Amino acid sequence: MADYKAVKIEKGRGGWGGPLIVKPTADRPLIYCVTGGGIHPVAQHIADLTGGEVFDGFKSSAPFDKIAVAVIDCGGTARVGVYPMKKVLTVDIHATSPAGPLAMFITEDLFVSGVKPENVTPVN
Amino acid sequence: MSELLYQTTVTSIGELVPSFVAEGMLVFFGENAPEELHSFCVLHKVEHQSGELLAGDVVNIDGNEFTVLAVGPVASENLMQLGHLNLKANGRTQAELPGDVCIAQVALPTVIVGSKLTIKRN
Repeated sequence: MADYKAVKIEKGRGGWGGPLIVKPTADRPLIYCVTGGGIHPVAQHIADLTGGEVFDGFKSSAPFDKIAVAVIDCGGTARVGVYPMKKVLTVDIHATSPAGPLAMFITEDLFVSGVKPENVTPVN
Repeated sequence: MSELLYQTTVTSIGELVPSFVAEGMLVFFGENAPEELHSFCVLHKVEHQSGELLAGDVVNIDGNEFTVLAVGPVASENLMQLGHLNLKANGRTQAELPGDVCIAQVALPTVIVGSKLTIKRN
């Protein structure tokens, strides 16, 4: 049984939303990475600090209810809204603000953007 | 002599694509995009890609040509890494969102399975 820890994820420069507190559980263990070029360093950093399991969304798919947090590199139209729409905590590494057809689903309690590894810190 | 930057064939159309088209946007993703993205995306299988997408390049969808007016700072990387293209017929010469690829404010063509998309530089 993994021993999961919580992290605080704050918006980075020019970013929006958050801060989010992310703590994986046995039921929701996945740090779900939907970015170009494999697992993004922000996703890896969240996994390292929380004990969560990194998962590459472009290699295989996972049910939403297994996802502790989704890490995306969305340019503002589509992926920014998909995961918040499903009430999945979402971290965009790009500094986007709510926009696009799904903007109504993007809220500060679900979404944070402009995130770099240093914006992810342990919570005691 | 034009340079071919991208060539792909559409393999599936999500059920929400028409509502995005009605708002002047077409969202493309490579075939390996996660399932949760499929409903609003045009999925496609890349046959050729090279270089970097820039303003002035020409997008051709089944013979309909559109000159690219603006390319957001992450749009080219999205296209080359993920097959992800947010094509927006909004006439903007400055991308509103970092992933946008803007063309003139025209009616977007109807994309079907088997449609061909190319991007060339003249």
